[in-house]
Parts: sequence; structure tokens; C-alpha cells
Amino acid sequence: MSEADDARLLAAAADGDRRAFARFVDRHEASVLRYLRAAAAQDADADDAFQEAFLAAWRGAGGFRGEGSARAWMLTVARNALRRHHRRRAGEPTGYEPLEDLDHLGRAAGWGRPEPAEEALEREDLLRWALDGLAPGDREILVLRELEGLGGEEVAELLGLSLAAQKSRLHRARLRFVARVRSQALTDDEEDRA
Amino acid sequence: MSVLDRVVGGVSCREVLVDLSEYVDGELPPTRVAAVEAHLAGCDRCERFGGRFASTVAALRRSLARPTGGVPPEMAAGLRRRLAEDGAA
Repeated sequence: MSEADDARLLAAAADGDRRAFARFVDRHEASVLRYLRAAAAQDADADDAFQEAFLAAWRGAGGFRGEGSARAWMLTVARNALRRHHRRRAGEPTGYEPLEDLDHLGRAAGWGRPEPAEEALEREDLLRWALDGLAPGDREILVLRELEGLGGEEVAELLGLSLAAQKSRLHRARLRFVARVRSQALTDDEEDRA
Repeated sequence: MSVLDRVVGGVSCREVLVDLSEYVDGELPPTRVAAVEAHLAGCDRCERFGGRFASTVAALRRSLARPTGGVPPEMAAGLRRRLAEDGAA
């Protein structure tokens, strides 16, 4: 199925076609859950927002105007559901981490420093650990760009950022990921040699 | 003065560090690509780091693309029940 098919499903859903909406859910539920779990501080928050996201999509299907992709629209709806869930739990931090000096990030990621063996990049456990340990804001943008394949402008709009701010956030998220992979891989190398 | 202030090919290491994601993604303007590549050709540190950065981002994409089992059956069923209550299914 294509992007045009998604648009037709949403248009039909806006007219009350429940079967069309069910097909839309089938197509997007896995990526919505994956995104919410990346963007949320805890899986429980993501799981609570999951149902709310699709309810909001059903009720608001007529709001999809076809100006961007249906996938980006659905992820925006999901993001808004998560934010509403966070607002109901007053005091829960949802914000992005403070801006770190880029020099520091670059050095932590390994610029000008020894590197672990290239084989570390084949370790799925290490890559998962590195991703899971990032802040929700970093995981969120990495999932949107690296897994969902959304473009910079789509992600900027979804996150309510300027294009420049989106680029900066993506770059910093990548550097933090690289830093975590490097740090743990070097630790593991040392322990293996001991 | 930091080590990242070193200039090679008219561009500092810091500028290359700033531009690295856009370079890897093919989103830099052509004149900027030429400047970054001139720097990389003469700077071992940036060339090594740039390569490792690109490899690690590629490894992240491969990892994310691996199947994760989708939505747990009980969550999928719960979603459909909830949608049915709302007249959506």
C-alpha cells in the first residue's frame, strides 16, 4: 500500500468508514507504538497514549489535508496524545535536555580519541543499550529520522521546531548515541583483556 | 585555543564537526561539501571520526530496522475494543 492509499483510508474514515480506519490502524499501529515508546520517559506512558492516539486519529481523520504524509500526520497525533497524557500527570518532566557544548559532545563521541574495534558496531545488544539509555527527546528524533525515514522538514513540523533547530537536535542525538556506543565498547574491550 | 580550532583546507575541525550530520545525509550545499571534503583530505582526526560517526549511524539504522515483534497481542486487542466502544471499529 502507498501513501495515496493511506490518504484514501483517512478520507474514508472521516466519512465514518470503520473498515477503512481498521486498515489504517493495521498499517500504523506498530510504528506508532515504537515511536511512543521512544518518545516517552516510561513505557507505561507510551502504552497509555497508544489508545488515545488512535482514538484521536479516528475523531480527527477529517483534519488530514494531504499536505504532508499520512504517516507524519499520525505520528503528530500520537505525539500530541503523549503530551496530553504528560500534562495530566503534572510534574512529570517531558522537556528536552539542556544544550551541551558541541565540542564536548564531539570529544565524548570519540573525536581525536582512541576508538573501539569496528566489530562493536555489529553487537545488537550494545546498540540497543546505547539507544535505550538516551533521553526521550534524543530517542524520539532518532526514531523519526532513522527508522520512520521522515525528512527534516516533516520532523521539524512534527516537533514544532525550526528546520535549523531540528538539524541541531538530530546531530546532538546522534553524537550522544555514538558516545554511548564508544564508551561501553571501550569498557567491554578493557574487561575482555583483563 | 582548542584542538578543534585547527584549520585545514580553509575550514576548522569544529566547523566540520558541526556539519557532519548534514554531510553524511547529503544535505549540505555543494560548495560546503567541497570545503568539508578538502578538510577531510588533510585532517586524519576528522577523517577517522567522520568515518566512525557515519558507520555508527548506519549501524543504528540497521538496528532500528530489525523486527521487534510489533504490537503485543493484548495491546492490539485492547486498542480494537476501545475503538469499538467509540464506534471506530
